Amino acid sequence: MPELYLRLLNRILTPVLLLLALYLLFRGHNLPGGGFIAGLMAAAAFQLQILSRGHRSVRSTVGPYLHSGIGLGLAVAICAGFVGLLEGTFFKGIWFSLHLPFLGDLKLGTPVIFDLGVFLVVASVTTSYLLGLSRVSDTASLRLDETVSRIRYDSAGSNPAEASVEPGPRAES
Amino acid sequence: MAVSANLLAVPVAAPLLAAAFILLFARWGGRRRIRQQIALTSLALCLNLAAAAILFQATAGRGERFVLQLGDWSAPFGITFYGDGLSATLLLLTAIVALAVYPFAVATIDYHRARMGFHPLYLFLLMGVNGAFLSGDLFNLYVFFEVLLMASFVLLTIGAQPAQTNSGIRYVVLNLLASTIFLVAAGVAYGTLGTLNMAQIAERLPVASPAVQTVFAGLLLVSFGSKAPSLPLFFWLPSSYHTPPPAVTALFGGLLTKVGIYTLFRSFTLFFPELLVSWQPVLLTISGATMLVGALGALAQPGIRRVLSFHIISHVGFMLMGLAVAQSGNRLAVGFGLGAAVIYLCHHMIIKTALIMAGGAVELHMGSDRLVSIGGLVTRQPLLAFLFFMSAISLAGVPPFSGFVSKLSLLQITLDTRHWVVSGVSLFASLLTMINMMRLWRESFWGEYNRPSRVPVRILQSRIRQRLMLTPVAVLVLLSLALGIWGGPAITLSMRVAQQALDRQAYIEAVSPSSRISTADADLHLISSGTYLLVSPVAKSGTAAHAPPISRGSVR
Amino acid sequence: MISILLAIAVGSLFASGTYLILRRGQIKLILGLALLSHGVNLLLFGSGRLTEGRPPIFLDKNEYAETIASNLPADPLPQALILTAIVISFGITAFVIVLVNRRHTVTQTDYVHGEYVPLLREGDPFDFSDSSDSVQYDWLAYEIDEVYDSEDLLPGIPAMPVSERDESTAMEEDSYQWP
Repeated sequence: MPELYLRLLNRILTPVLLLLALYLLFRGHNLPGGGFIAGLMAAAAFQLQILSRGHRSVRSTVGPYLHSGIGLGLAVAICAGFVGLLEGTFFKGIWFSLHLPFLGDLKLGTPVIFDLGVFLVVASVTTSYLLGLSRVSDTASLRLDETVSRIRYDSAGSNPAEASVEPGPRAES
Repeated sequence: MAVSANLLAVPVAAPLLAAAFILLFARWGGRRRIRQQIALTSLALCLNLAAAAILFQATAGRGERFVLQLGDWSAPFGITFYGDGLSATLLLLTAIVALAVYPFAVATIDYHRARMGFHPLYLFLLMGVNGAFLSGDLFNLYVFFEVLLMASFVLLTIGAQPAQTNSGIRYVVLNLLASTIFLVAAGVAYGTLGTLNMAQIAERLPVASPAVQTVFAGLLLVSFGSKAPSLPLFFWLPSSYHTPPPAVTALFGGLLTKVGIYTLFRSFTLFFPELLVSWQPVLLTISGATMLVGALGALAQPGIRRVLSFHIISHVGFMLMGLAVAQSGNRLAVGFGLGAAVIYLCHHMIIKTALIMAGGAVELHMGSDRLVSIGGLVTRQPLLAFLFFMSAISLAGVPPFSGFVSKLSLLQITLDTRHWVVSGVSLFASLLTMINMMRLWRESFWGEYNRPSRVPVRILQSRIRQRLMLTPVAVLVLLSLALGIWGGPAITLSMRVAQQALDRQAYIEAVSPSSRISTADADLHLISSGTYLLVSPVAKSGTAAHAPPISRGSVR
Repeated sequence: MISILLAIAVGSLFASGTYLILRRGQIKLILGLALLSHGVNLLLFGSGRLTEGRPPIFLDKNEYAETIASNLPADPLPQALILTAIVISFGITAFVIVLVNRRHTVTQTDYVHGEYVPLLREGDPFDFSDSSDSVQYDWLAYEIDEVYDSEDLLPGIPAMPVSERDESTAMEEDSYQWP
């Protein structure tokens, strides 16, 4: 049962986390931050969604794009390396400066593109891992329920000595 | 034709890019998507083979060395890719093996496993192996090790059957321990020598204290020796290689252990050439015991793939024997041992892959590889029987094949350096190999036709799949035959490769040409040299406004 | 002083990691691997110099004149190495957790093609006794699922036409669940 206050919090926190991830991504070249950390931050946003809305709805929303996200990230990162071939060496950084009206100068370059790729890979991989594990924990809790009900059933039965036997294929066969 | 050093990036970038495109465009869907995956993978494998062939021709053929400093960051700061004869030979063989196993994999890997991402994982594994062969930096070597390990973990357990998961845990844990020890070695190198660049380590290690040298060498020997795998640390291999599909076993048997052997070759020739002399008894003991235990263990095994995986261990012993005598020689030239080991490596990669694929075909036809229960396949599958026989006698070392040439050259150098015991042991191990191969052939092909369990008829009925399974085996057997017939030129070539690998000074100068200047004040900082790399350019330039930037390459 | 503490921390992490790996349980195995990787990370951290107040990169050279004079700024490289090692161990820990979970599921409760899987000895992946590998050749399980296995089909192995084969083995498109 998704928690109510978590759902409320989620509406505020998820956009903030995603924006923070973007911020970390773009400041990452000279300051603490970068693709990996931003990716983890984005995955944390998705994990908040999983916790508050259940993994099924998150899976139906972002699930189909996760593997494409991994592929896209890898492709972007490698292609950033190929751009460097223009100046003679694989992965050579090429920089140019962009003047934005209010935000000041923005330095863009192939390392930023590389970081973008890393961000995509990390966010997608971590989210798909979290989704997978949330499904596992679902089945695990189901199994626990079965076990508990079974033990209750057994102990209600005639032979109380069998109540503590862990149910499993061997016990059944 | 001048070859650009950027070519070194192709064996890493091409598989990675193809895998990325597979994940991006062809990940989910039906058989049409899988066909697209197969097409992309084949394209990347062919590109890889072309790049490796060009590199091999330029390095082993013309004696060039290639250094690619990624992003133009000079040697200690950036990521260095280094290609010489040894790495190019291994790249070429890796490309051949990967391209040869792939049709077999396409024919035998089932649809479910293909949907689980078999094809991109194949490419990731190839990328990791290639990167490990090219890396000129201890830490990047670790990273590529982890890439290939990660891909191999998933390939080993893909499908997640009980025996697979069970062996998967053994494999994962023991390999992770070896990687951890390797990382400790990297930490020791950085803490004491102040660098992770292999050329600079080679340069500074002779100045370092003997304790550092011994600890570093011991840690490397343990971790690479467990990846190779040599004697006391080989248990992960025979307990896991028989569980995945045979295509995966063939790929692992052909590629994975060779990374450990290559790193042993590289580290011992580059870092500790004098330890090759002073530790020679240790190395010879390890190699002799490894080949003996591998061959004896194979005798006791009940299944085809288990026998073959024990033989991998036995062969690792042979290669280590070549490494142990790399720095010695009486009438033969110094370096002959390493050359013989290189040619043995080529032979082993080619024929072991062929044999595991043929054994996998037998397993598919029989539904089992348990030797006591199968038999009599020779009348039903004469071509398979012929190919299996050819690769078996090549593995055992019968003359027209490459096994004879490589074993003969190894024996020549050990006899020349008067290591009688290990020569005798190697001959005995070869005899045991012959016995084992004959046992395999007799049990599975001769006798009453007996098929113990159900078989995947869908694979066996398709003529295309049959051809896809047997053609690569035939090609590899022909390659082995060619290597045996043109044994003389092959030995000359591998001697050149070995000489190139043993030339440390050339390596150091190729990677960091400026390092000779900086050795002048190396001793000054060596004691507390964690910061040596950063300090000396600042001090020299005098401006001290910025410490030179560290490449952030693959870190983020 | 701090380096002694660091050495003690690294040593105890290694010791407890090794101890946990040698235990039987699978969860302990995971924890042991995690502890070992933390130990290595600390070791890498100590392989740079442990300094205080000497940044590796600075803009104002007057403020850090002492650092320049002593020629000993801090070394940022170990942090980068540790970050990489953390990323790698993160991925590997994730994989091992999933693998252990899958092994638990597969060896205890799941069926494999119509038979009970013999129960592997619980919790001990290094059990080399006969029972542990008794389910052999199960890599074929998927293929044998659609078996039409009869003796007379095999000897000559007649080839089916391609179209027919593809129909007979066609799977439903995209029944697979998203991860």
